Amino acid sequence: MSDDSVPAPGDKLPPMVIGPFDADALARYAGVSGDDNPLHLDDALAQAIGLAAPPVHGMKLLAYFEAYLAAWRPDLTIVRLGGKFVQPILRGEPATLTGRVVRASREEGVFLRLFAQGSARVPAIIGEARLRFPQAPAE
Amino acid sequence: MAAETIATLGPFRVGIEPDKAAAFSAETGCSGQGAPLCYPAVWLAEPSVRTTIADYCAARDAVPVHESQTFEFDNILQVGKNYDLTVAFAEEAEPPRLILTATVATPCGKRAAHIETVMRIVPRSKLGAAA
Repeated sequence: MSDDSVPAPGDKLPPMVIGPFDADALARYAGVSGDDNPLHLDDALAQAIGLAAPPVHGMKLLAYFEAYLAAWRPDLTIVRLGGKFVQPILRGEPATLTGRVVRASREEGVFLRLFAQGSARVPAIIGEARLRFPQAPAE
Repeated sequence: MAAETIATLGPFRVGIEPDKAAAFSAETGCSGQGAPLCYPAVWLAEPSVRTTIADYCAARDAVPVHESQTFEFDNILQVGKNYDLTVAFAEEAEPPRLILTATVATPCGKRAAHIETVMRIVPRSKLGAAA
């Protein structure tokens, strides 16, 4: 969608695949974010809690939705982005971002339900976003 | 169950330095043309915030598990600008949660963003079950 139209409820965003993220990518994110929780970096610790590999930082995955939404509607401004971390996505596992329009109006903006899904059947992140239309200049 | 505020930090001055914003963008798929929306997560790794979380968990022999995260913007944050950050910590008893509510304001006091971080507090003895 490239015009400034108001999307309809139920409209689906094209999926975007991100990753897979390797150990270097997780270490770099830990460095730039300050989230150096060893769970994301240490194989033995991840295995100790039953994971086959360290999980990707949930915040790193959530942050990718900014690019995802911007690719869909670069004319809109993201004013809210949130997500619930339901299931880990593990190192080496790609994730697919999807979304659909819940409701939209030029006045209130576009409300979206977002999902990040790895290889598991349940979503890894269930998210939400609100995007605002450009505001008309004051007369 | 309503969360009970147990501590507040700040306001303290934070900023979005261009090189750090660019590095964060590079690791999160962003264009790098502005401040990444999720960049305030960096501020929540400030030593005073981390220490408060660590002390809270240590007292309960527990670890924090990031459960949800929300960023809401009144005004889009700008690279190169400074902001004042206030962080309130609240707890919920059942299930145990620690909730950080952060307010980002401009130096002149205008609210720019609101951030909520929810962490489940998982006793170390139940870590295997939480996975």
